[in-house]
Amino acid sequence: MAQDYTEWLAINVLNEQQLVSYRSLSRALKIHSNLAKQMLYDFHRKQNTKKPRAVHATYLITGTKRKEIPNDGTHSQREGDDTVMQSSPPLPSSSAPKPDEHDEEPIAVQTVMLVKEENVLQAKAKFESITGTHIYSLQAKGLGDLQTLTECNRKIAADYASEDPLEVWKQYGTIQNPKVKRRTQRRQPPPPRAPMVKEAVAKATPAAPTTKPTTLKKESSKDSQDSKLASKPSSAKATPEPAKKPPTTKRQGSDIFKSFAKGKSKAKAAQESQESAGSTPKTAPEDEPMASFSDEDDADEGDVDVVEDVPKVVDGKSKKEREAELQAMMEHEDEVMADAAEVASEQAEGDVNEGAIDKPESQAAEEPKETVQVENGRRRGRRRVMKKKTVKDEDGYLITKEEAAWESFSEYEPAPKKIKVPPTTSMNKSTTAAAGKKGAKPGQGNIMSFFSKK
Amino acid sequence: MNGDSHADLLQAPGNLDHPVLERSPSAYTPLPTYQLPKGEHRHYQQQYADMYFARLAQLKPAVEQIASEAWADFEIGGETASRKDRVLDVRQGELCWVAGTVYMEMPLKPNVLEDIGKEHWIAAPPPRVKYDSGVGWGGDSERGAHAGGGKGLAGAQIMLEDESGRLRLTGGYLSGGLLVTGAIVAVVGTENSDGDFEVLDLRVPDLPRQPPRWETEDGDAALKGKSVTKKRDNAGKVAIVSGLGVSGVEGDTLLLDLLMEHLLGESTDPSSQQQAASISRLIIAGNSLSHGSPIPSREELAAATKKGGRKTYGYDSSSYNAAPTDRLDQWLAALLPSIPITLLPGEQDPTSTSLPQQPIHAAMFPHGRAYMNPPTAPEGPGWFDSTTNPAEFSADGWRFLGTGGQPVDDVYKYLPDCEERLEMMEAMLRWRLTAPTAPDTLWCYPFQDGDQFVMKECPHVYFVGNQPKFETTVVEGPLGQQVRIVAVPRFRETGEVVLLDCETLVPEVVRFEIFDEG
Repeated sequence: MAQDYTEWLAINVLNEQQLVSYRSLSRALKIHSNLAKQMLYDFHRKQNTKKPRAVHATYLITGTKRKEIPNDGTHSQREGDDTVMQSSPPLPSSSAPKPDEHDEEPIAVQTVMLVKEENVLQAKAKFESITGTHIYSLQAKGLGDLQTLTECNRKIAADYASEDPLEVWKQYGTIQNPKVKRRTQRRQPPPPRAPMVKEAVAKATPAAPTTKPTTLKKESSKDSQDSKLASKPSSAKATPEPAKKPPTTKRQGSDIFKSFAKGKSKAKAAQESQESAGSTPKTAPEDEPMASFSDEDDADEGDVDVVEDVPKVVDGKSKKEREAELQAMMEHEDEVMADAAEVASEQAEGDVNEGAIDKPESQAAEEPKETVQVENGRRRGRRRVMKKKTVKDEDGYLITKEEAAWESFSEYEPAPKKIKVPPTTSMNKSTTAAAGKKGAKPGQGNIMSFFSKK
Repeated sequence: MNGDSHADLLQAPGNLDHPVLERSPSAYTPLPTYQLPKGEHRHYQQQYADMYFARLAQLKPAVEQIASEAWADFEIGGETASRKDRVLDVRQGELCWVAGTVYMEMPLKPNVLEDIGKEHWIAAPPPRVKYDSGVGWGGDSERGAHAGGGKGLAGAQIMLEDESGRLRLTGGYLSGGLLVTGAIVAVVGTENSDGDFEVLDLRVPDLPRQPPRWETEDGDAALKGKSVTKKRDNAGKVAIVSGLGVSGVEGDTLLLDLLMEHLLGESTDPSSQQQAASISRLIIAGNSLSHGSPIPSREELAAATKKGGRKTYGYDSSSYNAAPTDRLDQWLAALLPSIPITLLPGEQDPTSTSLPQQPIHAAMFPHGRAYMNPPTAPEGPGWFDSTTNPAEFSADGWRFLGTGGQPVDDVYKYLPDCEERLEMMEAMLRWRLTAPTAPDTLWCYPFQDGDQFVMKECPHVYFVGNQPKFETTVVEGPLGQQVRIVAVPRFRETGEVVLLDCETLVPEVVRFEIFDEG
């Protein structure tokens, strides 16, 4: 053990001329931070006895500083209070009259100071009492700017990001908290590769490959990197073909798949750009398509295509993996985007969810029960209504019969009573929404459903 | 050990035992007082005037009760003061008292009509230090918060307003007290020949009822039918910091690293680490990012228009720099495994700019999100609680009320000669308003049903972030309430963190410094 740290420090501090803080040492050798501090001290002493000024150190001093004499600071603030207090009460109140001077509450101030070794004595002179001193870092040459020490922590964060803090930080001497609550996420932030994947992915889609968990992990590990980001829209776009097959089978007609796919890919693209951590200029073209209306589909297609071509080449993921990601993303609805494209995407998602939640047979043409889904302010579904049928009798008489029939309907939720939304805006909303809806889901009913409201 | 314990770590690794410490637990219950309804239920079609009426309706009973007690036998020249229901009912020469909302007319206050007339884009109005031009109120007394240079009413005008109308107030008494637009007060006096009301005395609603410690938790438990636990562990300390100011520029974040290491218990010596282990919660009171606000300042807008004149409708996403939020997220994620954090947004944070600011969304924290509650099923408070600004929560049984600093900074602008932030904070408590100047000069949500900024219950701790320096005092109320008010300084500038002991509510400060050779 003793040999390890001397060796490690010799390599890193002297040979590679790096900045080594006690934290870097503790992470590298998997030891308690306090032990690391002692090792730094030992190494520092030994090296400097061998060859003076071989190794430079910075110290961390903790203690109480001497009260400074200059008038700024706590003292004059009290005096300021006094003058105002004595002249007139600042606020008339029914409580007991204020004392004329604020009682001097002595507030304990503990100072933690980082000092280069050449200034240690000077710094110590400023302290009234010192509770502790230890070496913070070692470096071979003198340190120009103390701010470069942030490099140590940054390196630690980068090098040891794969460690699970709740498991390994105990050995470093971090204060443990038994009550810490952390949830496992389906989508992992970069880079913990530990398999903390939620397995609740049991959707009733036939194309759910078993490779999903592994791909989720793989996908998550590259989540915030740029190429990944760009590849996601490409994957989202490319996967409409295979991934749409399951949802579209639930819907009659595959000619609607095109507009459907566009809506979906845009939705995915927007979801990626919104949800991933580091957004890059590449997301700008993605954002633009999102912001524009669904009328400009063609123009946007061009943009998205251009962007996606390059990353497609770069990232050679299999179709299945992309599909799996798409499934995962579909389940993970965090953001709700507010524009026309969103309406389409939401309905698409809503429908997929519907398809997953409801049994597949409920989507069949003849359904014996009434279903109503409430989504995004629209009520949709099938219901039983009495319909009149006029039949010509054998004698030539027209007979009107009433019979129950099923009808699919889609209408708005009753608007909130409090706010008087002017009738014109509601009409506009309904027409545009209905138009969008019509484009996205004509399979739901016939064209007359466009006119079903009012 | 060998008596020289402060040099323990300045020795070779020996047989010193290095125990792993455990942190004190934190009992925490966030209150949803300032959460706004989401999505479609949030409407902006209401008028802001309703807020004032609601505020008056909520506070009038309290202030009238105090006023009637105080002035029941208020006599001048044989005449007793009579109560008037409406502000316009005062009669000349008659001694009476009336309650209403204060409105201050100040020359340098931002005028919304002017702003709209001049510009098409939203840009933050130019920052003013004080709204009053400094000429002052023109009262006889030269001292006090509203005293100004000379006489004459060229400065601020104070009026009392209610549903019936407005009444101008005069009198030397006014210069002695703190008044801002939106405060509900009761004044006694008489109308003079000019039609102005001369004020002889003034009363405010004062502190509301203060719940005893642990009331929130006990109340919840009682409602749920669980037995109320009488035995609680000794509470630790709560660390309050504000103004971290992460900017993504790596030049000056060493203090943040020092803070993080100290809170984790890795830096400093064992005795300080013990102290760090007693810190049970970290509260970040605003301005964690130095430039996260979505609204561009005037300078930015000028620069943007100068650059190319290319008008970007909406938001130009190519100019987004993720480094600051990334850095903040990494920093928080390094702390979260060990300590629970409550994050309040501030003026410069990426969330709504109007009060109450809504919690910073979980999407900003890809690493920290694992410690937050899932959006659909919040079971109890999250480990990492991104909350509103202002925020009200119960930590270790004590009721905390905190803001990111905007209300106090705005009140500061109304008072030409007063620099005492603690007094402003105390005044806000006595007015029972967390944001008295909203909606006049502080952007806020148009509450329809009731003013959410009215304090219904008195907190035990009232902390305000992003103040120029650390200050604290205890404010007492008429029913024995005691509130510890703390002004938390900006960490980026001062390196100070406030530690509040949750058993005694006495604060202390830990200051992080880098030795300056100069």
